[in-house]
Amino acid sequence: MTRLLTLALIWFGALPWVGTASAQPEVTVTLEATPTEARVGEMIQLEVRVHARGGRIQNLALEDLRKYPELQIISHQTVRPMQFSFGFGSGVQVESSLAEIYVLQPTAAGTFDFAPAVARVDGKSYGSQPLTLVVRPGMGGSTGVDDDVDLPDTIQEGELSGARFDQQAFLRTVVEPKEAYVGEQVDVTVYLYTRLRLAPQSVTPGKPSMDGFWVHDDPITSLHGQTAQVRGVQYRAYVLQRSAAFPQRTGELTIGPPKVTFDVGGMSLFDPPERIEREGVPVTIEVKPLPPPTPANAVVGRYGLRARLDRRDVSTGNAVTLRIDASGVGNVQDLRIDLPPMVGVRALQPVIRDEQRFQNGKLGGTRSWEWILIAETPGAHTVPPVRLVFFDPETEEYGSASTEPLTFTAVGPAKPPPAAIAPADAQPRKPSAAFGPIRMYSALSRGETPVRQRPWFAWLLGLPPLLFVLVVLGSSTARHRERRSTTAGAVQRQLLRSAENALRSDDPRAFYDRIVGSLNHALDSRLGEPVAGLPHAELRAQLAGAGFDDDLVERVINELEGADFARFAASGVNRDEMERCLDRTETIVERIQRSSRSAS
Amino acid sequence: MRGRRLLLFFLVSVASFTAQGAAGASAEASLKEIFEAANIAASRGDHQTAIGNYDLLVEAGVRDPDVYFNLATAHAQSGDYPRAILSYERALTLHPGDDKAEENLHAAERVLEENRAEAEGEAMIKRSSSAGEAIYGRFPEDGLAYALVAANTTLFGCLAWMWITRRRASWIYTLLVASSILFVFSAIGLGQKAGIFRDGPRAVALGDRVPLHEGPYPQAQIRGQARGGDRGLAVDRDRDFVKLRLVDGLEGWAPVSAVGLIDLDETVH
Repeated sequence: MTRLLTLALIWFGALPWVGTASAQPEVTVTLEATPTEARVGEMIQLEVRVHARGGRIQNLALEDLRKYPELQIISHQTVRPMQFSFGFGSGVQVESSLAEIYVLQPTAAGTFDFAPAVARVDGKSYGSQPLTLVVRPGMGGSTGVDDDVDLPDTIQEGELSGARFDQQAFLRTVVEPKEAYVGEQVDVTVYLYTRLRLAPQSVTPGKPSMDGFWVHDDPITSLHGQTAQVRGVQYRAYVLQRSAAFPQRTGELTIGPPKVTFDVGGMSLFDPPERIEREGVPVTIEVKPLPPPTPANAVVGRYGLRARLDRRDVSTGNAVTLRIDASGVGNVQDLRIDLPPMVGVRALQPVIRDEQRFQNGKLGGTRSWEWILIAETPGAHTVPPVRLVFFDPETEEYGSASTEPLTFTAVGPAKPPPAAIAPADAQPRKPSAAFGPIRMYSALSRGETPVRQRPWFAWLLGLPPLLFVLVVLGSSTARHRERRSTTAGAVQRQLLRSAENALRSDDPRAFYDRIVGSLNHALDSRLGEPVAGLPHAELRAQLAGAGFDDDLVERVINELEGADFARFAASGVNRDEMERCLDRTETIVERIQRSSRSAS
Repeated sequence: MRGRRLLLFFLVSVASFTAQGAAGASAEASLKEIFEAANIAASRGDHQTAIGNYDLLVEAGVRDPDVYFNLATAHAQSGDYPRAILSYERALTLHPGDDKAEENLHAAERVLEENRAEAEGEAMIKRSSSAGEAIYGRFPEDGLAYALVAANTTLFGCLAWMWITRRRASWIYTLLVASSILFVFSAIGLGQKAGIFRDGPRAVALGDRVPLHEGPYPQAQIRGQARGGDRGLAVDRDRDFVKLRLVDGLEGWAPVSAVGLIDLDETVH
């Protein structure tokens, strides 16, 4: 009866499944965005999902995503959860779903309409509802990604200088100022404006020719984009080159057209990358001479001077080092200083070092001169003040900086110059090339032994492998011993416990059996071989040979003999004697184990 | 009695220590004076005095790249380019990556070639160029030695850690692979610096035309010649002759005085 009831229940339960197996698939297609309204630069998650019950999903497409390059795809994920199949009899139902999840970053404001996403299930098409994304301008009109990019947000029809407009991508050269004094810094920046989705690592800029300029580049290490509007169209603008250019002659100077190549597309197998080339336009600037009256050796910039001597007292014929640092804003490589002649002092050619850096967009730095001054006559020698005249283009005025006079004293008699006597058969030598100044300072290190030849080096190299071998050996031995001692100890304890149990249950035969077993086990573990069955004389000799002291040997033999005897004459044994025997055995076993540890 | 002996021992020790320190300081001072005198001579254009003083320092055991640099510069300014090349090479061996020394070395080679080409029509200095030198040229030897020690310690430390803990974490494999690569790289580099992969110390021909004989004696037949500045290896030595193997494979015995060894502390096999 119960079986019939169960079958009926199963039959009725299976009916709906059989019915649905032959029905049309239930398909749901959704197109959602979170949020649907965002600002430029904010992230939007766009999710297209199809869920089918009773059908096979063949395709899911959102064609409109390609239409909007302003929606930059930051990430794309395809999710296909596990398909569930439920079978009962001939009825089968399949549930499956597929989702495409995009994270988008809008680069331009606007309204982006998406037609319904289309899914194909079992050859039929199913559509989602349409979607509209609204992107509002970012805070301040830019993404705020890169604060270094400084370009106008909006360029109107007539303002697009330094560029040839293109709907997709174009280059623009921005020069500031367009009229400069000779030697004044001119900032040259080349931008790439593009609406195409480019691969930043594929961008290869070609520098414009800059004849007539001394150029110092501010290196661009990575491309950062900023949104800009040109003639009402949103572009992504990247800085490709940023240079400080210093005109070296007056008149019209031309900065040549920049070039760039980059790849667009390549986001998927069906979107092969395409190589794009663009060329900018030349830009001309007007270079003016410095305003008259122009002082001799005037440079452009703003500088300060500092001078010092490395010592104030020397022997006649020895050298002192004079160092002058000129620091400020401008092209320090333009700086020239002439050391005035000093009576009784010979100055060698100076060593010049430059250190240049950008500060607030202006190139500046320090130029240092180091002269070696040799006092050829005794007495006090004075380095006269050194003056530097400069023209500051910001104030359009001339200024100057000068050093303080410095004095040093030479003592001792004047040394005659060495006689330069050439050998009679000496060949006339060609003038030598410039091999630069000699080095005035040296550690004078005296052939230090190389590290590889020092004794500790070999030890230091050999120590790690040696320690490793010791670690391996040590840990292996420890593990082996631990395993062995754990097993042997456990058996020993079990034997003694079972002897105690036999004592409690007043079973002398079993008690002495365990006593003999316990002693034999302790001896087995200690000697590493079985001793049960050995005649006592032989056992005595073996124990003595293993280093047992005589007392222990005697005790072991006596206890074994006594236990053997008691096993076969159990009726004559009283409880007190058994307790004493147990105590003695525990002591003997402990002594055997102790001797085992000390022996190992 | 015992106290007196102890006091005496202490006083003798202090006196000996002070004397040693004073002697060391005095030696340092005299080296410095020689160096300064050489620099002043070089600054005055008295190259021979400068070279003499720099040579004095080298003979006194100074192995300093700056001294070799100045010596090379003095040689170059006096027109002795082969010796300038030798000293620049020594300076670069002691201080790899010295841009100025490299620049001057190339300048000396260029001037030597130009002078020779002007006199003889064409000229080319035979320079050594091995892959090992190209890869490890700018790495200091001691740096490679320390890298080897660090890699060795890390490698076996990782192995020991894995053995003890029985854990196989991904980071330990990364560390293991990285330290193994560093170990191999620094070991090969150190071998390269130590000259294991060479048949002898590097050498430079110093004379304008250095005859290469069949055997280590002056009457032996001449097999060829090395030109000043040509690089090679000193693969053997017999009394006053050294067997020079040039980079183009030409080999012969040359007088010791006509060959300079770049690797000063490397012995000829």
